[in-house]
Amino acid sequence: MTIICLSFLIVGVFLSLSNNLQHMARELSTNMVVTFFLDKAATAAEIKGIEQKVLGSPLVSEVKVVGAEEARDRFQKNFPDLKDILANLKINPFPSSLEARLKDTAPASREVAKLVQDVRRIKGVEDVQFNQDWVDKMQSLSRLAKAVGFFLGGILMLASFFIISNVIKLNVIARKNEIEILRLVGATNIFIRIPFLFEGIALGGLGSMVSLALLLLTIKLFPVYIGSLGALQQLLNFRYLSLFQTLGLVATGGVIGCLGSLSSVSKFLKT
Amino acid sequence: MIELFHVYKQYQPPQWALSDISLKVRRGDFYFITGPSGSGKTTLLKIIFRELLPNQGQIVIDGVNILKIPNPRIHELRRTMGIVFQDFRLLFHRTVFDNVAIPLQVLGEPRKEIRRRVFNTLRMVNLHQKMWDLPSRLSYGEQQRVAIARAIVNSPKILLADEPTGNLDPELAFEIITLFKEINKQGATVIIGSHDRELIRHFGDRILFLQKGKLIGKDAL
Repeated sequence: MTIICLSFLIVGVFLSLSNNLQHMARELSTNMVVTFFLDKAATAAEIKGIEQKVLGSPLVSEVKVVGAEEARDRFQKNFPDLKDILANLKINPFPSSLEARLKDTAPASREVAKLVQDVRRIKGVEDVQFNQDWVDKMQSLSRLAKAVGFFLGGILMLASFFIISNVIKLNVIARKNEIEILRLVGATNIFIRIPFLFEGIALGGLGSMVSLALLLLTIKLFPVYIGSLGALQQLLNFRYLSLFQTLGLVATGGVIGCLGSLSSVSKFLKT
Repeated sequence: MIELFHVYKQYQPPQWALSDISLKVRRGDFYFITGPSGSGKTTLLKIIFRELLPNQGQIVIDGVNILKIPNPRIHELRRTMGIVFQDFRLLFHRTVFDNVAIPLQVLGEPRKEIRRRVFNTLRMVNLHQKMWDLPSRLSYGEQQRVAIARAIVNSPKILLADEPTGNLDPELAFEIITLFKEINKQGATVIIGSHDRELIRHFGDRILFLQKGKLIGKDAL
């Protein structure tokens, strides 16, 4: 039972980590803004043209022109400690910019990259700032966490399969006499298999359920144990598995138990 | 009808457990197979219910060559038979009732019907008062009667019994064979392996004599 629980616990932890990363990637992508910094020499007509071009893209939900003054005000508001430096400067160093908020329906990065490239070529656009890289990295990390979870969990689940299979084999050996009698009085193979199948399913299913309970306990206790983590808090603030994942793990446990018992009983039903 | 054609069985060369056995048992017959220990009585019975496969020969029961029945369908043959094993083969962790109920559970009979038939059968073998006991608490003879009750509880068409009275006192042995006779009267074919000469002399109208695996005498074919 321990090894069955352990294998499912590992899969569960990695699934939960992957859920977290995916959640963060989603958060980032819903607030995604592309900032086009405008040339100081850009005319009002040119800015209007750029605005029209960006707004015309199906990926963009909203465009806002941020003037140089507004940019400076924002800086002063966000970084009050650096107010004096700005005051010493005789000119406003901030360029005007055009902020394009992307639609929530997570845009395919290739399409956004094309839009960025197209707009950047327009006269009057000096530079572009875009945080797509972060979203991509977060999504890759999430995929990696899931893959590692399935790899390690997969190995342990294979071990669970053999363990369940051996546990049931021992049980079958202990009940060899009973199986023989059942066969000789005309029991079908299915009739003989059913109790062992249930046993396997119960063993696998119960193992996975205990591991899910342990996972829940870990998730609840983990933040209490480690305290505040600052920037890492969000990453390590584990979320429990979705209903689909939970049911999936229990079902996988049952299936592994079922297969384990099938393989061990079959050997005794040959004749 | 049970027909055996030139059946040979060998466990270890060079000795043959059965050698060139051919016989025909008609439906409703009551047969004793007799012979000294090691003559092949048990092997012959095991071959008839296909616990063992012969090295050569054919066995046909009610027109079906049982050696050609695939393993997943062998239960169909065994459901028509009741078998009393020499070593009883009881489940010692289950009650007398549970042991006798097995063939009916296998057939998927309703619980109520199982209870009724098990009780009636146990009453026939005079064990109904020990229905909830474990076989380990019963005497050797009582265990044997549990094995008999299990063999007859589903009213089989063919009843095979290997030394069913081996450990019973003569009075009880007579009672058991009388019970087999009654089952036979109801239409079942009965084949009993026994070396109890007294019993055979009293009940055996059809007897097969085996010696060193060979059929050396049969009074009716």
